[in-house]
This record gives sequence, C-alpha cells and structure tokens, in this order.
Amino acid sequence: MTSTTATPLISDDWRIAGRAYRDQELFEAEMRTIFARSWVFVAHESEIPDGGDYKTARIGRQPVIVTRSADDGEVNVLFNRCRHRGSAVCQREYGNANHFRCAYHGWTYAADGTLVGVPFDDGYGDRLDKSQMGLVPVPRVERRRGFVFACLDPDAPPLEEYLGHAARYLDFIADLPGGIELSAHAHKLQYEGNWKLQVENTIDPYHFSFTHKSWLDILKDRGTPSAWVKNLSTNPEWRTVDLGNGHSAHEYGPLERFEGGNDDGVANFSSAELLPFNFIIFPTLSFVGAHLRLVQPISATRTRVFLFPLMPKGLDPERRTEILRSHEAFYGPAGAGSTDDIEVGFERVMAGLSATATSEDWVLMSRGLDRETVDEATGIRYGRSSDEVCQRGFYRTWRAHVEGGEGA
Amino acid sequence: MPETRTLDGAEALRTLKDVEAFLFDEAALLDARAFDAWLELFAEDAVYWIPSGADQIDPEREVSIVYERRAQLAERVWRLDSGLAYAQEPQSRTSHLVSNVRVSGVDDDGLLRVDAAFVVSEFRRDRLATHAGRYRYVLRPREGGFSIVLKKVELIDNDGHLGNLSLVL
Repeated sequence: MTSTTATPLISDDWRIAGRAYRDQELFEAEMRTIFARSWVFVAHESEIPDGGDYKTARIGRQPVIVTRSADDGEVNVLFNRCRHRGSAVCQREYGNANHFRCAYHGWTYAADGTLVGVPFDDGYGDRLDKSQMGLVPVPRVERRRGFVFACLDPDAPPLEEYLGHAARYLDFIADLPGGIELSAHAHKLQYEGNWKLQVENTIDPYHFSFTHKSWLDILKDRGTPSAWVKNLSTNPEWRTVDLGNGHSAHEYGPLERFEGGNDDGVANFSSAELLPFNFIIFPTLSFVGAHLRLVQPISATRTRVFLFPLMPKGLDPERRTEILRSHEAFYGPAGAGSTDDIEVGFERVMAGLSATATSEDWVLMSRGLDRETVDEATGIRYGRSSDEVCQRGFYRTWRAHVEGGEGA
Repeated sequence: MPETRTLDGAEALRTLKDVEAFLFDEAALLDARAFDAWLELFAEDAVYWIPSGADQIDPEREVSIVYERRAQLAERVWRLDSGLAYAQEPQSRTSHLVSNVRVSGVDDDGLLRVDAAFVVSEFRRDRLATHAGRYRYVLRPREGGFSIVLKKVELIDNDGHLGNLSLVL
C-alpha cells in the first residue's frame, strides 16, 4: 500500500507512521542504509577463543563467518560465499577448522580467507590470481573489550566514535567480575513482527508492570516483592538516558555508583541480575539483566533474536548457575517474560497495525517529551523512568538513515 | 550411582503396560489443561527439564529452555491459570501423542528409566505448530502408579529459533 507514503515517517510531535513496522520496501531501505553503514555486533571473543575457531553471523541479512586465525590470533569477518560459483562455504553455527572447503568444486580457503586450493587450476590458464580470490573480507572490523563489531561501509567512522557515550556502558559490562564470557550458549527466539518492536521493548520500563504483572505477582508470592512500580513512578534515580547516535539506556541508579565493582545497589529482581541498566547499541545489540541480546531482522514482519547469558568468569559456579536459572525463568523461549512480550508487545502490535485504513495510522512516542532535559555539555538527554526518551533517541538516528537515502 | 538392571519376561511386559498407562494419563491431563493435577504427578524432588541447543548439555554451565524444580514448576502452573499469562491468551489447544515407549531399566532403589517419542500438535492464533522429540523420564513407583522424578524433553529443534513456547510439553 502506498496510500500513506506522503505522510512523514515521524511527525514533529513524535507520532511514528504505522508503515515503519510493516512496509517491506522500507525494510529494504533499512538494509541499504542502517545495516550498510552501522557497526553491527558479530561476536564476542569468548565465542571463538582458540586459533581456528569460527562462528557464523549476519550483518543485516548478509551472512558472514567470524574466524580466528591460528597463526596470529587475528579475528576475521568474511562473507560466507565461495568466490567460484557462490556456494556458502561454512554451514555450522560454531566450529574449529584449519580451512573452509567449498563442497561444490573443492575451492579451499584459510581462516583469514586466503584462497589456498583450487582443484585442476590449470583450467584457468593465467586468468586466476589466487591472491585476489580469497573470501571477501567485510570492509571494517574493530574490537572493543572483547566485543567484535563489523561494518559494511569502508568510510564509516571508527567504532569508538560510533559508540560515543555508549562505550562507558559497554566497558562496565566487560568489567564484570573476572571479565565475561558467552560460554553458556544462547536462547534463540523468533516472532512474526518487525525487528524494531524488540529494540523498543528492551528499553521500555513503562510496559513492565502491565505486560509482566504475573511475574511481579510471583516475586511477591516468593516473599521477594519488587519495588518496580514505586520506583518507576517516584524514584528520580531510575531514569532514561539518550546517549546519542541511536544508543540509549535505562538506569536503575547513576552508573558511577556501580562502577568499580560495587554492586550493592543492583537489586532489581534478584541477585542474578548483573546490570544496573538496560542498554541498547544502535541498531540491534542490547543488554538486559544478565544477558546480551542480538536482534536479527529477517523481513518487515519477521524477526529472530539471540539471548546470550553473560557469564562473569570471576563468579563462583553456584552464582553462575543461579544466573542461568533466573534468566531461563523470565527470558527463555518458555519463560514468563519473553513469551508475554512476543504475544503482547510484538504480535498483538502487528495485528493492531494491520488496521491501515484508520485515519490515525501512527503510534505515539511522545511520552515525557515536555519533561526531558538535555545536558548541554554532552548532549545526553535524560527523562523519567517510564518516558520514551530512549525510543526517541533510537528513532532520530533511524530516521536520519532511512530519510537520508542511500547517498547520505 | 545405583546399579541399573533391565527387566525381562512378564515383569517387563507388566511394567511397560503400567508405564504406558501413566504416560497416556499425563498426556490427557495436559491436553485438558488440568495443570494442577499434572503438577501432582511430580515428586517433591522432581526436575522438569527442556535442554537448549543440544540434548546433552550441563545444566549447571549451559542455558536450558526450562530447568525447574517442583517450586518453580508450581509457579509456572499458577501463572498459566492466573489470567495474566498473555502468551496463553488465546490458549494453546494441544494434542500430546506419546509413543515408542521403552523401559530401559530399573535402579536398585526402584527408579524406572523410561523414554518415549512425542509429537505435540499445538493450535493457537490460527496457526498449527508441531513440537516433536523424545521424553526421558525417571519414574518412582508409588501406590497406584508412579511419580515423576525427572521429565526431560529433548526437542528436535532445541537449537532452532523458537517462538512463544508457553504451552506445556
């Protein structure tokens, strides 16, 4: 339907057009702009600790292999596509290999992508320069504190500049006791809805006491009631923070209080919660509770999500197990939280947004607009806990990409 | 570890029949959404376990889809009937098919090792879904039947992307 394309994607008073969540052409534009230019998380180094280790990942819809070279330990991000006739050369999620051999005609590549073998290569005469025919590397790869990001744009700003004020939160996670590892594997979810719904939901304390009331009731019944509702409405230290560049956080108290290993104040739900904030890095990486969350857009109306429990190496085994049990109960595919979010926050929203003929085909993202404050020195915006400051931060950057067009 | 012996002859046949009857009754309770009665099948020291990623994982070190002791299972059952579990509104209508039942052995302390194939068809929100795999049980004989000490659900797609898995498998 093109009937609404004349209306702006986002109005001055923060109404977001319904087509932002359902239009496949707009999704394609997101792939050509946001996912072609942004730094996208592809791996944590603990997933590929040894030489020869690899994992497969995606940048937007682009399939890549993240490998660790055996000789120098370098991390490589390569398109998973044979240079001969296009076959994907790596089929598994994780593994260890000396080389990747295409099963179609036997072309063989080293972990850094170098083409090292072509059967019967005399057939090409002088036409095949193997040094130019390796697996194509993704133009930019940078690491920060164990987090590996890749970017399809050779002219993108450096990762540090891209992260900006968000780097501090990422460092806090890297500094959890003993450093972290993604050693407990991942939960994998999927839903019939737009990828941005999951991102919005990650930094949205406003919905918690409604969508997840059953969970608050369970905590109460355990004798460990959450002060969630009270804090949400009255605690000035619970706040939403727009960090710029599309990144944002919801803080359960000022970050400096928790930096330096002091976790006295980290008690949102249970001792298994590690992070005193919910945190998103534009466009698809986020951190909640005790897990890393990675959103993978499939189409305008289909999304996959990975949830990796964060395992601090310095915690004793019992505490690590407690983190797993707590994480499963709320965030797992059969957990109380994720299943209710999929139903209410994603699939019911998509059902509602199919009412395209309404004269009011938009969603409202203006909560707290009149009471948000801006730190003039840093440009960071702050709002109340239940305000949509984080979402607006995300959508400002989103709009700059999709309205700026491919050449912007 | 207690010794495990296999069953023979008439004892094997009789035990298999008793175990099948128990598993079919359990399936009927789940299809009827009689979750409170289902919970009563579990022993006080029971574990209900759905591994994630692979069948053979270490639940102390790797994440599961579900790893619940009786207390958490009781919370799950409470939630399903609370009227607040939106993931089950509308409810899943299910058909639990349990087959290929095998009693692989019995411990010295009388615990039975049982495995069975399952197919759970689920209809919800105009979508028909299939969940399949193997159940592995440890059953403790009690008056009139068994109690469940372990129910492990090995989904064939436990390394795939799963949707709203709020039904009980």
